[in-house]
Amino acid sequence: MFLTDDNLLTMSAVPSGFDFPSELSTKPFALIGLTGLDTLNNAIHRTIWDAFSNNRRSDRAPVHFKLLGPAHEFPPPKAKRNTYEWYIPKGILKRNWMNKHLNEIPAVVAIFYELDWEDPQWNEKRIECASRVQSMRVALAGRNTRIAVVLIQQTAPLPTGEDMTAAERATALCTSCELNAKSLFVLPHGDHLHGYTVRLENVFYDLALNYYHHEARNVKSHRDQLNKTTHQYLFVRHQLKIGFLNELKQDSHTAQKHYLQAYNNLLEVRIVDTNNLEVKTVAGFINYKLCKLMFQQNLPRDAINQFRQHIEMFRNCIGPKDLAFEHCAWMSKQFSVFGDIFDEAIRQGLPALQTQHPGFYYQQAAQNAIERKTSCQELCKSVTEYPNPDPLMGAENLEFYGQRPWRPGKLSAEPPDPAKEKIGVLALQYKEKNTNHSMLIIGLLGSAISQFKTYRCPRMRRQLVVQMAEEYFSSQDYGKALTLLTHMLWDYRCEKWWLLLSNILVRALGCAFLAASVQDYVVLSLEALGSCAQLHEEEKTRVFGNLERLLKGLPPDPEPNLPQEEVDHARQLWTSSKVGDVFNIAIEMNNITGCIESKAQFTQPQYQADQHVTIEVYIRSCCPHPLQFSKLTVTVNNPTYSSEFAVCESSSNESGANPLLLFHKNEVKRFVCQFLPDVQDVGKEIQIGSILLYLGSEKGRCAILRFTGTGSEPSSVDISCPELQHFRPSSADMPDFDGIQPVATAEIVPRDSKLEVTVVHSTPALLGEWYPIKVILENKESNMISEMSMDINLLSNNEDPSLEQATQICESISDHIVSLPLKISVGNLDPNCNIQKLFYMRGHRIGNRNIMIKVSYNLSVGQDGLDNNNSCIKETTVMIPVVKPFDITAKFFSLKFEPIAKSFAKEPFVVMPHVSCVSPCSLVIENSSIELSGHIKSVDDEVKSQLKLISLKNGETGTEAYCVTADQANDQPVALGIYTLQWRREDTPELVTSSSVTLPTVRVESAPLFIEMCLPAHGWVRTPMAVSYHIRNHTTCLLDLELNMEASDAFMFAGHKQLQLRILPESVKTLDYNLYPLLSGLVALPRLRLTISDKNDYPVKQPQLTELLDRSLPSHVYVMPQGKGNPTPIAIPS
Amino acid sequence: MAVCVAVIGKDNSPKFISCLNPELELQFHYKVHTSLDVVEEKLSSAGINTGDVRELYLGLLYSTEEHKIFGYVTNTKIKFIVVVESANTLLRDNEVRTMFRRLHNLYTDVVCNPFYIPGDPITSKNFDDTVKSIMVNNI
Repeated sequence: MFLTDDNLLTMSAVPSGFDFPSELSTKPFALIGLTGLDTLNNAIHRTIWDAFSNNRRSDRAPVHFKLLGPAHEFPPPKAKRNTYEWYIPKGILKRNWMNKHLNEIPAVVAIFYELDWEDPQWNEKRIECASRVQSMRVALAGRNTRIAVVLIQQTAPLPTGEDMTAAERATALCTSCELNAKSLFVLPHGDHLHGYTVRLENVFYDLALNYYHHEARNVKSHRDQLNKTTHQYLFVRHQLKIGFLNELKQDSHTAQKHYLQAYNNLLEVRIVDTNNLEVKTVAGFINYKLCKLMFQQNLPRDAINQFRQHIEMFRNCIGPKDLAFEHCAWMSKQFSVFGDIFDEAIRQGLPALQTQHPGFYYQQAAQNAIERKTSCQELCKSVTEYPNPDPLMGAENLEFYGQRPWRPGKLSAEPPDPAKEKIGVLALQYKEKNTNHSMLIIGLLGSAISQFKTYRCPRMRRQLVVQMAEEYFSSQDYGKALTLLTHMLWDYRCEKWWLLLSNILVRALGCAFLAASVQDYVVLSLEALGSCAQLHEEEKTRVFGNLERLLKGLPPDPEPNLPQEEVDHARQLWTSSKVGDVFNIAIEMNNITGCIESKAQFTQPQYQADQHVTIEVYIRSCCPHPLQFSKLTVTVNNPTYSSEFAVCESSSNESGANPLLLFHKNEVKRFVCQFLPDVQDVGKEIQIGSILLYLGSEKGRCAILRFTGTGSEPSSVDISCPELQHFRPSSADMPDFDGIQPVATAEIVPRDSKLEVTVVHSTPALLGEWYPIKVILENKESNMISEMSMDINLLSNNEDPSLEQATQICESISDHIVSLPLKISVGNLDPNCNIQKLFYMRGHRIGNRNIMIKVSYNLSVGQDGLDNNNSCIKETTVMIPVVKPFDITAKFFSLKFEPIAKSFAKEPFVVMPHVSCVSPCSLVIENSSIELSGHIKSVDDEVKSQLKLISLKNGETGTEAYCVTADQANDQPVALGIYTLQWRREDTPELVTSSSVTLPTVRVESAPLFIEMCLPAHGWVRTPMAVSYHIRNHTTCLLDLELNMEASDAFMFAGHKQLQLRILPESVKTLDYNLYPLLSGLVALPRLRLTISDKNDYPVKQPQLTELLDRSLPSHVYVMPQGKGNPTPIAIPS
Repeated sequence: MAVCVAVIGKDNSPKFISCLNPELELQFHYKVHTSLDVVEEKLSSAGINTGDVRELYLGLLYSTEEHKIFGYVTNTKIKFIVVVESANTLLRDNEVRTMFRRLHNLYTDVVCNPFYIPGDPITSKNFDDTVKSIMVNNI
């Protein structure tokens, strides 16, 4: 919106008329005259005058200083009247009175004189000063103006009472000047001038108050002499004067009281035609003062009430009928002035309301100004020349306010001279006729508009702007009127006030015609033809006819109800070369509610690169007459450029109008626009930029109607309830225009690839193996594929983000450190051929891997004769679970093959890894090995895998055993070592995987003794068998033990039955026995018992010893029955 | 006696305007339209102290030399505007309220019509006649 209130105001420069005199509207200040200051030649005087007169801020005393020359003359006072008995007042208020008291008669005159107390020429100067005072007195003869003397002194004064000379000389000076001692002042010139002037100023102000008080009393004293019959005017005048003097005294309360009295007295005056203007003028003045004072005293309600009563009182005092416009002007002035003081009060901090603010008064003032204009047009139309001699001579110098210049000072009682009266009225009418009413009205409307804007009344403001446009229209400024109207059209359109819109449209169309503005004329015509414009059928027909004429290059017929001379002028404009040229007008249709609506949609939200993009355009006409267009195009925008597609075009020869583009009333047509998207647009969004309809021929005059296609035109349909629009009936044989959802954007996506990607693999992958994945690419496209490449990547997994680190992918196992994604270039592929690619994946952790295979390639498409190089992409995702091939557990056994939880240092034990196959496919173990840690040693020198080349199916378990010893005891569990399996899938002999597991830990405790029994695997009955016990001392002490061999029923034996043993540190004692089995079967061996002698500090404890024996010595042995023949002795193992 | 009755939709577009003197239709359209300023202001200031149920009757919106304009807003932000001549001093506030209540009932009947699409201008003979009789009879 370009329309601001600033330029609204500048558009309406306010000419003055009927203005209130400035002495009435300025705030009265006490007048103080300063004399004896030679400001031109004397620098000191200059600074003193500046100190008084400059910087009159609100905190200073409310006085007004006036510099008086040495021989200043005051207005002469009138002769004092002793009695009012024979006095008949000639008017209410003299024009010069207020000005006199404001600016000419000072309340106080201060005489400045340079005189020090110690001045050498004291006496001479004293006399000169006295004479100055005297001459001032003479000049002010007959006035009560207070006189003060100010001595300008060079030396700073001593404190009061100390300077005897000063006191004495001051008295002398007062005497010679006949001056009250309190009116003599000293102004030391030097420091603190400002402080002294402020103090002096306050003293002067006090004197002035005193003066005005006195003057008011003086006026009041006349009251007793007045009588109501002849002195009605004086009652008003005197109260008004008292009020004004009180105002000078800054006593607004008393002033208000007296003004009110003056006003009430004025209301008692009988109003007749002759004094009508005078009474109203003075009433206006008093009312103005009253309202202003009330606002000042923060009584806005009282002020508004006073003003209402005032208006009510004088609304019907029209006065002479021939001068009715004068009354309207007066009313307008009352309102506008009240608006001004209200506005001023608001600026002083008064809060205003939306329903009570100055705007209403300005508006009313404008209203009255309009009435004034109407009445002027009625009354003054016959007046053609100004009368001679001028009856209005001396209008500026009348003695009283509001009187007629041709009969000044005449009393209302006297009958007026009819001839003079007639000439006077004629003169006034002539003047009125030449007043620029429109500018006045526009000025007032401008003030009102800015107020209504401030108080949040946008609609009120709009109405006033329309009125303003109306005034511009009548002042023949059609351009401005048109600008204002077109701006307002927008707002009324938004809120769908069609009647108001139509009204403004008609007016604007008139403006456009008169201003010969082609663009506006076409736009407005199109809107006037629309369904929203509530115009009569004939009106629309006329507008349509004009539009057709215009497009054919002919000037349109004038709008009705336009003044004839303006129409003639406009005709010239239309036929002038400026308009007659070939033109193309672009019209933004989504700014107006025109007779043509359009919606457009993409048929799909996405289009593939090789697919035709389809745009459906729906156009509806609600023009009452058939509309023929010449061309329809659609522009499509993408982020970088826009392109235009012709949808429907008239055939090249001029005569054949395209029947497809002919629209009858309420006809809806559907057009389809198809095009292939640009390859560069892939992945981008394209947008319907605009729909362009060409009205008229492109070679001649043509209006280009531009739609956005979104259907956002402020149409008649209420879009607030879209779900309810289905209930709206629409004719069956046409597309349902209201139901169409505009789709303005669509995305261009890459074309669907016809490449077939097959992934072959034998799931699941096993942990740690290089898992082969085979990709078969088959070209099902109709053309050759070139520059094909595969990107293989691992999709990140939300549950396990570090899975990527535990996965390797490579093309061949030899160079397996490749960062992802793996890129495999494939090359070209002819149609219907296939190609295989292999790659490997290795998982170091179980879990599912999602592998994405993205194949990108170029497809040379010779589609539609175009050599189109289409880049295509095909994506496939494979999920590969990684599982464990084996469960490997290891268990520990004693040499007796009993499971053990702990082992003893230097005692051999057995480790048995159990390899259980959990893979769904059979696995072959190529080799297995155990790598023992430092503390563990193998008992056998040579270790061979017992699982080598064993094939395990799912669920089968292979076990091998290793005999090891720990070399020393340890507090911590001892790590046994690492078990490594080399395995492969049964069907892939070449891919051997090596998996290692850490064997469990074992606790190793210390054992002080180690006992080993050498016993044959079995014996024979009655055949001796040799048995030996090796007792090894692992301690560093000498061990004293007592050995007992318990007797057994099953054996006889030879050897020590009881023995004191003594074993040296780190040495072995061997005891040999010869057993002679008596019974066969699994028989208990004679038990060996070791006891220690009772010594406390012994490193070996008895329970420990017993446990050792139980653990180390077999308890039973198999004894075979005696076979036939001779028994053979069993060799004793050494 | 009212001289003009208007129904304004929630988007501030006119749904129905009827005035006794058809010649002044344009003037009343402007009057009703400008009165929406006050309605909007009252609604926005009422929005601050929500909580209790809002009074639907807005009272006198503003008065000019010739007319007084009263407003009423339903809970669905449908506005009823009644314009009364300023010279008519007999009309009491209570009567204006009753007028609005009747209008509200009438409007409810219109909306209940299954053939009426909410948001459209009201074209109902019954509504028109009853509103006219309300304006004339002041009931």
